[in-house]
Amino acid sequence: MKWFFPGLIALIIPLAVSAGISFTQLAKISTTPDQLKGTFSQEKYLKALDAELISTGVFSYQRGKSIRWEILKPVQNELVMTPATITSKQGDGELWQIDVESTPESAALGQIFFSLVTADWDILSNHFEVTGEIDGQLWHAVLVPTDQTVEQAFSRIELTGENLLQQIILHENGGNRTTIRLDNWH
Amino acid sequence: MKENNFTTKPVAIGWLLIVAMVILIAFWQGPKFDSSILSLLPESDQQPLVEQAIKQMSEDFSGRLVLMLSGKNEQEVRTTVTSMAQNLSLLTELSKVFWRVEEAETSGLHKALFPYRYSVIDSSVREILLNGEFQRLNDRALMRLFGPLSTGGDSILEDPFGLFFDLMINRSSELNLQVSNSLLKVKNTEIPSYLIVLSFDGDPFSAGLQRKLLGAIEAQQELMPASVSISGISGLLLHAAAGANQAKSEISTIGLGSLAGIIFLMLFVFRRVKPLVLLLFPVAVGCIFASAMTLLIFGRVHLVTFAFGAGLVGVSIDYALHFLCERQVSTARQVLHKILPGLLLGLFSSVMAYAAQALTPFPGLRQMATFSVLGLCASWLTVVLWFPLMTVADSQRQLAVAEKLDRFRRKFPKLETNRVLLLLLLVPLGLALQSIWNSNAQDDIRLLQTSPASIMQQEQSLHRILGISSSSRFLLISANTLEACLQKEEQLITTLDKLITEGEISGFQALSSSLPSLRRQAENIELVQELYDNQLVSFYSLIKAPQSGLSSAVSIRENTENNLLTLDTWGVLPGSDGLKNHLVRQSDLVTATVIRFSGELSNSTWHKLQAISETMSGVTFVDQVQNVSGLLGKYRVQIGTWVIAAYFFVFFVLLLRYKKQVWRIVMPPLLASVFTLAILVQFEQGVNLFHLMALILVLGIGLDMGIFLMETEEAPHTWLAVSLSASTSLLAFGLLALSDTPVLHHFGLTVACGLTLVWLLVPMMRQN
Repeated sequence: MKWFFPGLIALIIPLAVSAGISFTQLAKISTTPDQLKGTFSQEKYLKALDAELISTGVFSYQRGKSIRWEILKPVQNELVMTPATITSKQGDGELWQIDVESTPESAALGQIFFSLVTADWDILSNHFEVTGEIDGQLWHAVLVPTDQTVEQAFSRIELTGENLLQQIILHENGGNRTTIRLDNWH
Repeated sequence: MKENNFTTKPVAIGWLLIVAMVILIAFWQGPKFDSSILSLLPESDQQPLVEQAIKQMSEDFSGRLVLMLSGKNEQEVRTTVTSMAQNLSLLTELSKVFWRVEEAETSGLHKALFPYRYSVIDSSVREILLNGEFQRLNDRALMRLFGPLSTGGDSILEDPFGLFFDLMINRSSELNLQVSNSLLKVKNTEIPSYLIVLSFDGDPFSAGLQRKLLGAIEAQQELMPASVSISGISGLLLHAAAGANQAKSEISTIGLGSLAGIIFLMLFVFRRVKPLVLLLFPVAVGCIFASAMTLLIFGRVHLVTFAFGAGLVGVSIDYALHFLCERQVSTARQVLHKILPGLLLGLFSSVMAYAAQALTPFPGLRQMATFSVLGLCASWLTVVLWFPLMTVADSQRQLAVAEKLDRFRRKFPKLETNRVLLLLLLVPLGLALQSIWNSNAQDDIRLLQTSPASIMQQEQSLHRILGISSSSRFLLISANTLEACLQKEEQLITTLDKLITEGEISGFQALSSSLPSLRRQAENIELVQELYDNQLVSFYSLIKAPQSGLSSAVSIRENTENNLLTLDTWGVLPGSDGLKNHLVRQSDLVTATVIRFSGELSNSTWHKLQAISETMSGVTFVDQVQNVSGLLGKYRVQIGTWVIAAYFFVFFVLLLRYKKQVWRIVMPPLLASVFTLAILVQFEQGVNLFHLMALILVLGIGLDMGIFLMETEEAPHTWLAVSLSASTSLLAFGLLALSDTPVLHHFGLTVACGLTLVWLLVPMMRQN
């Protein structure tokens, strides 16, 4: 019987390898242009109300510098994120601003979102473990937080793409879920 | 061997036993030295509440060591911080090593504070509510909801308008710190820097504790990777250790230098070793006895007491020298008989002069008076009781130096006969008096600094980087109840906020910012209710929430609206420790709270805060820097007045014995003091307390010179004795002028000038 176990393990290992992808692999297969514009649609599921909030708008980013996230419906709001600050604007007025230095916990989550949208795998690897699969140009990654601050907010984050990132699903701890789809890039 | 008339062996042995016993008891109690400026403050001068506040404010500094570690490689710094903190945690001397914040602590705060989201609200939200801009809060909530960022759990029912979210993101930390992946990261630094805070219960002045803690830190430093370094360190213990080190190194340089000088001088004059040992014996007994007694009476010896006290006790070398020089021409039995009146008068005048300090309300001076009086008496007794026994077998012989020195003295012009000399003294005297009259006093707190400049700078730069607020200047708000204090604070904060917008202050920390008064909390609840009444229906309809959602949100608010945050609840919140010492005392009658300011305060701000405190009852602006300078000034005036009084007193006492001749004794130290002061005014930018203290020494030695010379009718060996006494004091204390410690430098310089002048003036006032 002794030969049986090594044989079994030998069978299992290739399976494990195919399920495990690395941030390096993701970095190779995914494309993140320096600049990108597109539209998004977002569905936020609120468990307490059992309701789904849908919003749509446009986004644009300059990799490593800033993201403009403009909600057009049902309310108008513009969110500008840089690595140091998150500013919320409506019309000409600034609604609120979070900066990394004064409110690190909230800002940390903003930074995560920044890294997700611009697919900054390097930064994400500091906060998450990754599993998932790659099939040609298609990829699907599941990020599980390793960082306590992120763990407080998200249980896991799913990313799907074909070259470019197409969908983000943020699973919050309380059962809330945000699904964001990115389209019509140019 | 026939026993001396004045002393018997049993008495002498009895005295030595007493000394030994006192020393033993003191040693058994454990010697404790103190160098804190605060302990020199007069007790009666400070209101107990202010004193308590100052004490609480300074605890941050006295019971803690703050370390900042920096390095280019963030991960390396983090690993180093972790291993260092873990290793230091093993030290039993440390009560706490604070270096990480568990996420559980942050979420614990959120959980504990969440029930108070309607009563404790962010000040910016309160402003919006007060202005009735309810729509704005509605908009903000909608943006958050439709935005991509996390909404923060399931608060859509409990806190639809995100009041708690606003409170949390605007909660500013007292320090420039952020929790980065559980560790304490310093903000706005060039390279990644992290903090470790060590708290201990022990006395920062204990040499043992200093060795243990600083040794452990040093050992950790050795283990660090080359790229990581301790870039900042702060804490009273550090200054205490540096002060002790500086004292140690100066003792080994200046101290050894002066000791070598004294030994050389004594060997040169007596050409034997024995007199040298004899001379040091009573002084040593005096100093050790005085230290032991002071320790027993006051519990600890202040370093300043020790330095000055030892200096004043040093005057007692006069008695020993007087005895030994007289012994060269008389037998052991005769000596005491001959010189006892002079010795008694010398002791009496010095003791009276020093003892008067005990009447002042200043603990520092009282301790010093006790020290010097006890030390002098002990030395005196040792000379009188032991010297006859110790010198029984010594042979008599005229000292060659005595004759030479006497011839030299006789060559001095005499004031009585030399009109030119009189003029030569009167003119500079007039100039000196005028310059003293026009001089400014120096009462700067820097006089008391014992730390090397490098440590001061490091301390200040770390304080700046961390944004540590000054613990020496604050507003103290007192009232009958905590509630009244908090209400008063809230009223004050409106004014302080204006100062922030005007750029006068960069920030402040107040208890009421995290624990609002109950009145304020009730107001907030009403404001939130208005917000709900105004906006909740439209808010929920916009997000197309079911009716059940609206009703549960309303009922949740109604069920929570009576939640008021009390001191007890606040006190157990994670993270409230930082503000706890802002609450000074809560008795049945008096409570006080403290508002601290960040950064440096300019002069104009200082005046504004002063003015604000004057307009409100129960509000005091406490400025410890000012207090200490004021204290130094008071001490200076006290000592000054008292030095003058001492001259008058001594003058009248000596008048009884010496009649018209009394001026020969009093004038030399008096003139020397005046000239010395004038010189100090020219070269030291003003007279300070420590200059005046040194003048007491000049008075003591000057008086002894005059009295002894008078008693022996200007015998050559007496002149030798007093000259030797002046030169040993010069060597022992005058050399302190070279010290880096301001206090010792000022003292030494004055002694050096004063004693030289006394020695030159005494012969001019003699008859022959």
